[in-house]
Amino acid sequence: MELFLGVDVGSVTTKFVLMDREKRILASCYLRTSGDPIAALKEGLRYIERRMPEGGVIRAVGTTGSARHLAGVIVGADIVKNEITAHAVAAITKVPDVRTVFEIGGQDSKLIIIRNGVVEDFAMNTVCAAGTGSFLEHQAVRLNVPIEEFGKLALQAKQSVRIAGRCTVFAESDMIHKQQLGFGKAEIVKGLCEALVRNFINNLAASRKIEDPIVFQGGVAANQGMVQAFRDFFGGKKRIIVPEEHGVMGAWGAAILAMEYAPEKTAFQGFSVVERSFVSRSFTCTDCPNACEIVVLKEDDRVKALWGSRCGKWTPETATIRCEEEEETAPSLVLPPECATGRCAMHG
Amino acid sequence: MRATFPHLLHLDIALGILYPTLGIEIVPPPPITQKTIEIGVKLAPQNACFPLKVTLGNFIEAIEQGADTIFMVGGVGPCRFGYYGQIQRLIIEDLGYKVRFVLLDHPRYGVRPFFEALKTMAGGRLSLPKIVQAVRLSWSVLRFTEELEGKRRALRCQVEDPKSLDRVIDGALEALRRVKSLEELEILKEQTAEKLSSLPRNGRTDFLRVGIVGEVYIAQETRVNFNVERLLGDLGVYVHNSVSTVEYILHTLRPFTRSKEKLEAWKLAQPYLKRFVGGEGIDSVGSAIRYAQEGFDGVVHLYPFTCMPEIVAKGILQAVSRDFDLPILHLAIDEHSGEAGLVTRVEAFVDVLERRKWEKKRRLEHDGALSRR
Repeated sequence: MELFLGVDVGSVTTKFVLMDREKRILASCYLRTSGDPIAALKEGLRYIERRMPEGGVIRAVGTTGSARHLAGVIVGADIVKNEITAHAVAAITKVPDVRTVFEIGGQDSKLIIIRNGVVEDFAMNTVCAAGTGSFLEHQAVRLNVPIEEFGKLALQAKQSVRIAGRCTVFAESDMIHKQQLGFGKAEIVKGLCEALVRNFINNLAASRKIEDPIVFQGGVAANQGMVQAFRDFFGGKKRIIVPEEHGVMGAWGAAILAMEYAPEKTAFQGFSVVERSFVSRSFTCTDCPNACEIVVLKEDDRVKALWGSRCGKWTPETATIRCEEEEETAPSLVLPPECATGRCAMHG
Repeated sequence: MRATFPHLLHLDIALGILYPTLGIEIVPPPPITQKTIEIGVKLAPQNACFPLKVTLGNFIEAIEQGADTIFMVGGVGPCRFGYYGQIQRLIIEDLGYKVRFVLLDHPRYGVRPFFEALKTMAGGRLSLPKIVQAVRLSWSVLRFTEELEGKRRALRCQVEDPKSLDRVIDGALEALRRVKSLEELEILKEQTAEKLSSLPRNGRTDFLRVGIVGEVYIAQETRVNFNVERLLGDLGVYVHNSVSTVEYILHTLRPFTRSKEKLEAWKLAQPYLKRFVGGEGIDSVGSAIRYAQEGFDGVVHLYPFTCMPEIVAKGILQAVSRDFDLPILHLAIDEHSGEAGLVTRVEAFVDVLERRKWEKKRRLEHDGALSRR
């Protein structure tokens, strides 16, 4: 049986999808990246390996998400795609007449406009990460509500409280202020969901026309409070669909793309990857005034990939020599650039 | 006197020819690196646009290498840029550096102030013919650097090995620094053209075409815009940039030397934007319309975060995008911009263009099949 693997390594979670030729999901998993994408990748591979059907062969692999390049090298991807395209492809597969996709993940949010099954336009959050899963999770901890209960709690609210949601810090201080005025937890949570929806629409929709059906996906779509807040925002006039695979849509999209582009022979490294050890370290190239920080991914002692060189002269072949030379004065170990959010994923 | 100036792509090559022939010793600022940006960001007001910060970093680094005179342009109009030379002068004076600022203000009333500023810098010893000769050579050199970059953008998606293309272009740029006369320049031009035409092609003709519009500094300076052009080229896109230093200088020297393209872009922008909003606002709108009319697949709009003229243009470009069915990607850039986020957006944009093109083709074939029936 021919199978396709999709991997989505995001800033907060790592997702795997194992798919057959009919685009049916045979197995999927949803793990926390916990700041260590390599460990998450290995764990996911182990999980998928155990669920491989008898006689199944992986024909192609696709990766997406903010650590897609790292994942692509480690797992051996045939296609490495950005998360916007991957999410759109999965949404179109699930709901062929979809016209709008809302995707809210751990640290970013996306709005994708689709017409006639083709992506027409897209936007990613530009101002700050206020409208994302990490923020919700942070507030859940603060309110001492398990994140799984968060959405349900919002549905119990009798009224809503208006919370300023433009920026993470202001939303938080406004939320505390409302708490101190004596509002209940359920009301506060509902207010937060509504603030996030306003933030999403103001930031991403701008002058774009939101037409339904809307597919709402990403980790945050599991939050019923958020789904309800979106429904309320549109006054119940727009059809909002939350697919049951909402959490792994990116990985599913990557698997579909891998199937579309399937090469003669896959670059998949096999499940034995979990046995190997991967380390990233970096050095500053001093060959020209650009002074690029070169990140080297090493598999055991072999240089597997390099990132960060502006002139493009660093390849695994040239770097092997260089790394051996520099081994004595080995620079400090650094984690690979897992995602851009250290710098606030700003300015669309 | 040891003079310096801000970087703007290959301006340093042209000025490196102009100044020494005028008897001015130059200290070109070191290339723009992360350190340059850090210096500028630390010293400049937080709300200033990114070009001010980067060029301020250039000045400080050049001063530390011994420069004692700074050459900077000023300007008039709604864009804050006109005042930047003054702000930079104050910041540098506050730091206690003893340097002379030669501010060339907007030569609204002709080129005389330009020559006079040059004369000041040369200590007033120069004859006009010598100045004219030096200006001509450096002007031709500047034009050629732009031609080279234009070739790099256009050919990247067409050659088999982009690295060999870079080698030819970078080699020619390096050779330009040593050019002494117009005759030598002609020879170099011929040699480069020959080398470029002999590069093996990949035979593709179905590439996407994307135009770049936006603010002059961010749209041109590849070291601050994360080299969007190269990123697009590596994704197999033919790139054209509507912004150029040559054009910028020409339209600054108004009223008699505005180029045909410039006038055309301004005319095209008329139905959307009649007033001068400063900077390249009108050009961005006009050039985007021209790209749409020429059948380009999309436009990338580059500007510094908080740039007023470009924000006006951005609002209007949304109408242009709708009216001409032209996808436009807006990218605001400053010191907080992350490369990963930018790359994701550009990749997704190219995917959008590809799928649109593919869908259009499919529909045409479908219609064709229907009409044959």
